[in-house]
Amino acid sequence: MTDDQHPTRCPFILTDDTALDRRRFLRGAGMTGLGLGLSGLCPGQALARLPHEQAPHRQEMTSAPLEQSEQLAYPFYGRHQQGVVTPRQATGMVVSFDILAMDRDALETLLRTLTARIAFLTRGGSYPEHDPRFPPPDSGTLGPHIAPDGLTMTVAVGTSLFDERFGLASQRPTHLQRMQKFPNDALDAPRCHGDLAIQICANTIDTVYHALRDIIKNTPGGLLVRWKQTGTVPLLPPSPGDLNGSARNFLGFRDGSANPAAEDQPLMNALVWIDGQRDEPPWTHGGSYMAVRIIRNLVERWDRTPLGEQEAIFGRRKMSGAPLSGGQEQDVPDYAADPEGHVTPLDAHIRLANPRTPATEKHRILRRPFNYANGVETNGQLDMGLLFICFQADLAAGFIAVQQRLDGEPLEEYIKPVGGGYFFVLPGVTDDSDFLGRSLLAATA
Amino acid sequence: MNLRNTLPALGALALMTFQLPAQAAVSPDALVGPVAEYKLYVLDNLEDLVSHTEAFTAAIRAGDVDKARALYAPTRVYYERIEPIAELFADLDARIDAREDDYEHGVKDPDFTGFHRLEYALFHDHSTKGMNGYAQGLMDNINTLDSRVQDLTFPPKTVVGGAAALMEEVAATKVSGEEDRYSRTDLWDFQANVDGAREIFSLFRPLAEQEDADTVQRIQQNFDHVEAILAEYRVDPQHPEKGFDAYDEVSDTHRRALVGPVTVLAEDLSTLRGLLGLN
Repeated sequence: MTDDQHPTRCPFILTDDTALDRRRFLRGAGMTGLGLGLSGLCPGQALARLPHEQAPHRQEMTSAPLEQSEQLAYPFYGRHQQGVVTPRQATGMVVSFDILAMDRDALETLLRTLTARIAFLTRGGSYPEHDPRFPPPDSGTLGPHIAPDGLTMTVAVGTSLFDERFGLASQRPTHLQRMQKFPNDALDAPRCHGDLAIQICANTIDTVYHALRDIIKNTPGGLLVRWKQTGTVPLLPPSPGDLNGSARNFLGFRDGSANPAAEDQPLMNALVWIDGQRDEPPWTHGGSYMAVRIIRNLVERWDRTPLGEQEAIFGRRKMSGAPLSGGQEQDVPDYAADPEGHVTPLDAHIRLANPRTPATEKHRILRRPFNYANGVETNGQLDMGLLFICFQADLAAGFIAVQQRLDGEPLEEYIKPVGGGYFFVLPGVTDDSDFLGRSLLAATA
Repeated sequence: MNLRNTLPALGALALMTFQLPAQAAVSPDALVGPVAEYKLYVLDNLEDLVSHTEAFTAAIRAGDVDKARALYAPTRVYYERIEPIAELFADLDARIDAREDDYEHGVKDPDFTGFHRLEYALFHDHSTKGMNGYAQGLMDNINTLDSRVQDLTFPPKTVVGGAAALMEEVAATKVSGEEDRYSRTDLWDFQANVDGAREIFSLFRPLAEQEDADTVQRIQQNFDHVEAILAEYRVDPQHPEKGFDAYDEVSDTHRRALVGPVTVLAEDLSTLRGLLGLN
């Protein structure tokens, strides 16, 4: 995101009730108590104008999210979609759809509708007045003033979109493919794949569901929900101290300690975003690959596992998140001094996932996961785990390569991937004459 | 069938949010005629429902499994067409048309009665053993429904809203194939729900057209589209009374193709009351 790619005006106030909103906003900003200041509430501009060394806070993607104002709005227009390098919100959902539209015209109508709704929802506005004899156009679940609430909606498409229906086959992104079973997977067909997926994230789950219901209401005959999975990340209270700690997953470990820094634009250009350097169709430039995995954690069994074994499985201390080789969470583990794996086992999760060698740098992925808890299995054990989401410019070199290194890891005894899929995040929408997927349709016209 | 020739009308996309219709100008008096005609439609269907239920339950009492199986779907359609009215009597509806999912103990639940209990016996157990009481109960309940409806004043709101209610039925339980899970005769019910909704729509169409011709036209197109797909699965298109193929035969592509227009119909028909000025 740069200045010339989206309006310079901070768009978080759009309701007519400007004064009220400003009061709310100021109160919200004050409540965070973290010195975010105004720039922190318009992250696109903040990042564009400040070298990241001077950024008000060095939040990594998987840092525990900070409490945020409901007036927080992320810019919708830009070269890239929001929700990828955007700081992770406290709640998230991936919803996957079958596309019911049956030809290109209907697909374009659908994509334009999605674009218009997302542009509105992420900006916020007023509940429309309506004749009470008709069904209301909005679910009303957020009340009369729909606050942006940090909402991001990231639209991505599955490989099935490139089948015979829409004449898109020739422009399928090079690495886009149907998610294949890895050895430890127990994939549940109703929770896999899809023509189109939206990652919906916001400060609160109410905003996420409001957005989903708005999309469903506005796309009858266009989309059919195939599966969805919500998740949360523990919110960091507005107090200093633990600012850079990664949020914990449901196994109790800090998750994401070695994530690449999302505010580092050159790094994101190298690892996450597709550009002309890649062997990809030009329409994909500005897009990315999203891998989604619903990974069940067998938590009862995990909780009956000795702490030392848990730490050896991960390769980190459970409480501090520090590598077993010492230091603090953010310190790089020293594998060179430990070639035999006496300190950090060779099959420890973090060592397999990121061996920290120059040769494996290109496999780094940007993780953006959420913890999920769904209910109870028939055996009385909890159905909870990780809604794993990651972004990368090359799916094969990214998630697939990392997962292949992890195949057979000791952690597998405690986790079971059951769903998800691979999707291609469409390039961003540059202005209000543009729409999601325009470059794809143009490339196949 | 080339689905592209009968595309669902997706015009509803995006329009709905911003549509602020003008004050409906339909006078309440204008509704009297269509409502009266609808009552005749319901009474005709009830007459058929009673006579078909007599034959269906007689076959069960006679232990004729094959005959009873053959009569199951053709009997139900008369109920499915008039569900907006039949459901006004919640006590009867539960006894006539509840599904096992409505009961904590499922099929074994002693309160589970009616068409679907008999469906389970005929299509799962292939037997009429122990079914005489259920058959008699169904007959009694249908007769009670008939007599109650004879005396009923039809509320215009319920009648007009019935079109949307029927499409909600289709969207909720027909497309998924959970309505007739043992007999697989879902398409009979599907068509009957569509028939019932279309009847209401047709009766009020001239009035609705004055208010919003585009929506009316889209509704028409989507009804046509749904019926075109359903027609693909008629056993013998020349003889509609022979009904439909088993729901298992419907391809995933067609199931998905049905969801689109059904959902748009549910959305559009949900505006019918408002268009006609009904609160």
